Amino acid sequence: MTYQEFKEAVICASDKLQVVDYELYYTESDSVSVETYKDEIKGYNTDSSMGICYRCIRDGKAGYASTENLTEEEAESLVLRALENAKSIESEEESFIHKKGDSYAVLTGNIVEEPSGSELTEAALALQRELYAVDSRVADGTQSYTAYGRSTYALYNSGGLDLEDKASYAVCAGLALVHEGDEMYDGSEDRDGSLSDFDLKEIASEAVEDAVSTIGAVSVPSGKYHVVFTGKAFAALLATYASVFSSEAAQKGMSLLSGREGEKIAADIVTITDDPFHEKSLVKRTFDGEGVATYKKNVIENGVLKTLLYNLTTAAKAGVKSTGNGQKASYSSPVSVSPFTFYLQPVDGSRDELLADAGSGICIKSVTGLHAGANPVTGDFSLLAAGYSFENGKRTKPVKNITVSGNFYTLLKEIERVGSDSEFIRASSGKYGASSVLVRNMTIAGE
Amino acid sequence: MLSQNLIREALLKALSTGADYAEVYAEHTRQKSISLVSAKVDKIADAVISGVGIRIFKGTRCVAGSASSLDPAAVLACAARVADALSGTPESGSVILRERLFGDIHPVRIVPAGVENAVKIDYVREACLAAQNYSQEISQVTGGFLEVDHNILIATSEGLLATDRQIRTRVNIYAIASDGSENQTGGTAPGARKGLELFDDFDPKELGKKAAKQAVTMLHAGYINAGVMPVAIENGFGGVIFHEACGHSLEASGVALGQSQFCGKLGQQIANPKVTAIDDGTIPNAWGSMNIDDEGTPAQKKILIDKGILKTYMIDKLNGRRMGMESTGSSRRQSYEYVPTSRMTNTYIAAGEDEDKDIIASIEYGLYAKDMGGGSVNPVTGQFNFSVREGYVIRNGEICEPVRGASLVGKGSDIIMNIDMVGKNVERAQGMCGASSGSIPTDVGQPLIRVSSITVGGR
Repeated sequence: MTYQEFKEAVICASDKLQVVDYELYYTESDSVSVETYKDEIKGYNTDSSMGICYRCIRDGKAGYASTENLTEEEAESLVLRALENAKSIESEEESFIHKKGDSYAVLTGNIVEEPSGSELTEAALALQRELYAVDSRVADGTQSYTAYGRSTYALYNSGGLDLEDKASYAVCAGLALVHEGDEMYDGSEDRDGSLSDFDLKEIASEAVEDAVSTIGAVSVPSGKYHVVFTGKAFAALLATYASVFSSEAAQKGMSLLSGREGEKIAADIVTITDDPFHEKSLVKRTFDGEGVATYKKNVIENGVLKTLLYNLTTAAKAGVKSTGNGQKASYSSPVSVSPFTFYLQPVDGSRDELLADAGSGICIKSVTGLHAGANPVTGDFSLLAAGYSFENGKRTKPVKNITVSGNFYTLLKEIERVGSDSEFIRASSGKYGASSVLVRNMTIAGE
Repeated sequence: MLSQNLIREALLKALSTGADYAEVYAEHTRQKSISLVSAKVDKIADAVISGVGIRIFKGTRCVAGSASSLDPAAVLACAARVADALSGTPESGSVILRERLFGDIHPVRIVPAGVENAVKIDYVREACLAAQNYSQEISQVTGGFLEVDHNILIATSEGLLATDRQIRTRVNIYAIASDGSENQTGGTAPGARKGLELFDDFDPKELGKKAAKQAVTMLHAGYINAGVMPVAIENGFGGVIFHEACGHSLEASGVALGQSQFCGKLGQQIANPKVTAIDDGTIPNAWGSMNIDDEGTPAQKKILIDKGILKTYMIDKLNGRRMGMESTGSSRRQSYEYVPTSRMTNTYIAAGEDEDKDIIASIEYGLYAKDMGGGSVNPVTGQFNFSVREGYVIRNGEICEPVRGASLVGKGSDIIMNIDMVGKNVERAQGMCGASSGSIPTDVGQPLIRVSSITVGGR
């Protein structure tokens, strides 16, 4: 059964079971990916995935059911399961089916040219050759990846909405493994966008440099240090703490930003923006998981919390309008709240200027273990970090096996400088960006 | 799920361009999760996951494909897409399937899908209310229930045809304590490869109290001074240290490609002689257990490290080809959409001979990590980290005040040498482990252990 046929069957089943308010959310994607090892293709994947989520509203409560099995019987079972689940919901918050009437953005640049399987294969092998060519210490275990994916997101509901977003993108990544003495070091670099735009030489040299720059890294004595986070490192923190800007987390007592809209919560130079159409977005979206039109907004502007992110349910509870952030983690997930492309706005100065400004300290290039070592409810973090130390603004030696600790809410206030550079990382829920950031007197654990 | 004729046709199609091995993996899963906020049902997700994953090997090269459908046309189209990636002639023209029954070593008494929501909700609600009522400082409690009924079919060009039904159930309770300006959290999340009889194993009130007590304790905790010190790590989820510091680096997915700190170390001493570590997928009804792995190989119990000596890796068929070694029944995937690879099942440090009280008494100044959060590792460098959810300072051999915000970092190969005291009382705890083949249920475990020296991050 095709999606169109299944959709008709679900509409029929809804009528038959007298469900008046309902929605179908549909995603479909195709992708091809290539993985190399030594000078050959190790893996080649071709995936085609699809799923449908049905949401109905009974007495203001939302019931969900999802499926990947498109048959006549499944159509009715889907409606019945959702109805049964709606009856079990007890929370007082009201859910809605969004009605037609928003004006939706018209996307440009969401589709890139589709490479053939052999073009993807050639690019992966070429990147592999470039990686080995950068440095004689590059060893087997070094790998290159290329991929191309195409996605469709569609929403149909009883409120008259029938929406669709389409996107496609290519990804290319190099993982460099470097041997020096008895030790191994790894580094990586990736790009997304259009395959023909990727500079393989540049990706290779950055991946190898990422590995080589960690050779000889040592720990440092525990203590307080001035810290410059690179854009990527700070973006990783931002991704972990994005949930504190969710009105849902706030209303449920899981964010300390509850009731603080309009207050100053960060340093003056901090402006954080959510932009569903940002040029760095992997997928630009014109509507959210409830069919509400998306738009660009500042969450923090010059240190002031302008707005949390809302979906229809949390907006109704707070007496405001949805910010179009009613997102689903996957097609089968209930609607929650999350940003699209979420980033700290650049201000001024290169990373070198920030280092010079700090004088001496540690530049943190990566933080890891965020799912465990950073708690969005408390704001506390204690994270494995790596980077390099600097004196008089000049890089001295690579640093590893240290932790950087603090509290995100406090950190926002203590940011002293934000650079003019800008780096973005991909996370499961979207993209996050930041510039180099200077914070003084952070706690570092080392030797 | 699929007829034998269709499976044979798909395998032959997949083999048609010269592959020497083909595999069809079909899945039909029902999965429901219920979440409660403030003891009221907030959201229910209710999913049917259904599709096919097809792989072919030619030597050590692998082509894989997947489709979200069990419709014959979609299955054959997937097999054709996979075959298209090679260009050769078929090695053989027939596949004879022989169905194998492996039996079920994980009996399930109450299939969750057959029981109405209310029963599941009542249990979780009771735990949530117990947490809320534990203290006035508890500001919020969330509860969750998860049931998974995962049906798989595996057929290969070698003639294997096997199926398994894997039912698992889990409850989680998460409490937040607040003094108005600061929050601290506590939680517990027991699960098993069981049905609703899981509820008989735990008093919901105790689960609620446990989560709440941890949150309140941490609200009144100070911060530990950062530095290098001895650490005593409690049993149960403490076993995440082995999982991260060593377990991931013993997976063939990295070892076969030279991407592990333990490559080429079989038969060598890689850990302290006090350390014996086991990966056992056969423990009846354990969270990470199975009857067969996702390539159809029966689950095994493997001694990974015997008194410090590395005995085996965890191996799947494809990486086994590269390593010239047999599968150890370690191939796992989250779903048909992921390409399987070698993973852990229930992995733990075996009981040793030290008394718990001697372990604590041996530490003049250090950290007692009573409960751990999650962690992660870079298997190439062995650099790992994980967080301490509930910690206490040890002074002069005695457990003293609670401390918050600690994390432990180090290099796996160093740390497993530093495990120099191992207690007697092994307990396991449940986690979800994420890697290239998706998020899968695994148990971690150990008795109380002492790590003689490790970097503790704090303030």
